[in-house]
Amino acid sequence: MGSEERDEVRESLEKYIGQPMGPGSEAPEDVNGPMIRHWVDALDDQNPVYSDPEVAQESRFGGVVAPPAMLQTWTMPRPRIEGIAERGGAPTEMSGENVVSALDKAGYVGTLATNSELEFERYLRPGDRLHLTNELESISARKKTGLGLGYFVTWITTYLDANDQVVGKQLFRIFKFDPATMGGAG
Amino acid sequence: MVKKMGLGEGDIQVGDALPDFDLNVTSTVIVAGAIASRDFMPAHHDKDYAQGQGAPDVFMNILTTNGYVSRFVTDWAGPEAMIRKISIRLGGPAIPGQPLRFRGEVLEKDVQEEECVISVSVHAANDLGNHATGTVTLSLPV
Repeated sequence: MGSEERDEVRESLEKYIGQPMGPGSEAPEDVNGPMIRHWVDALDDQNPVYSDPEVAQESRFGGVVAPPAMLQTWTMPRPRIEGIAERGGAPTEMSGENVVSALDKAGYVGTLATNSELEFERYLRPGDRLHLTNELESISARKKTGLGLGYFVTWITTYLDANDQVVGKQLFRIFKFDPATMGGAG
Repeated sequence: MVKKMGLGEGDIQVGDALPDFDLNVTSTVIVAGAIASRDFMPAHHDKDYAQGQGAPDVFMNILTTNGYVSRFVTDWAGPEAMIRKISIRLGGPAIPGQPLRFRGEVLEKDVQEEECVISVSVHAANDLGNHATGTVTLSLPV
């Protein structure tokens, strides 16, 4: 396939750029001690600023803070376990079309996460309540890789506190590919 | 006088290696991280589902990978470190029975008025190859 050829799939995706990936989302609960302790036990992270109020008080943070890598955890929707496998792991029913479902429909059903960039403006404290907005940043031209032909899709999620101050951002990039084109076919 | 916790700016030089960290990845490690991060995607706890997706076994979710990258850096830098950025390129999966070897090195150090900003390369690999490769930026008070 020549590079000069029109790529109608890519053209049909242009409308998604700059748009939200999905509805904004409210954290189902405040940043809280039990979930922090669950995390630090699960990862055996013994940094005392997450779990020892006395040490945390003496630190630059002035009190217990949440592990920064939990940022996304706070806004994860409450999952509906029944049917989660059938939904491809989506925690809840997805409504409406977005770039990912459009690519699935066009045959680019494979998904590989390729990049994650987390930025933290400040550490979160128990009592913080987050919400997020997200925006599709870019879609690459069709690329040929070892997995097959596909598109790199990049979006940015912005996490805000109850005062609408940005507390962190995440850039996330996936490669959506057509597994049938692996090995250079197609 | 607050007692000093962890490394100070003067303890860190460009080129310093972070202490090696080898994580014994088991199904329990993967499931514990997935559920603690509220990620119920079956590929992170259900081996049959993961294999149906073409993966060799359950595999670590990205939230947990970021959590271990953060822990690797703060285990070294100490509790006064504030992580500013974790930027990783994702490679092969982290799966049970494949220890994940975290290695890192100080790339830059910039002493500013109130804090010292340090960037560290981080590389986590198993026998399948690179799992996560990238850079962590942190600050320490000065």
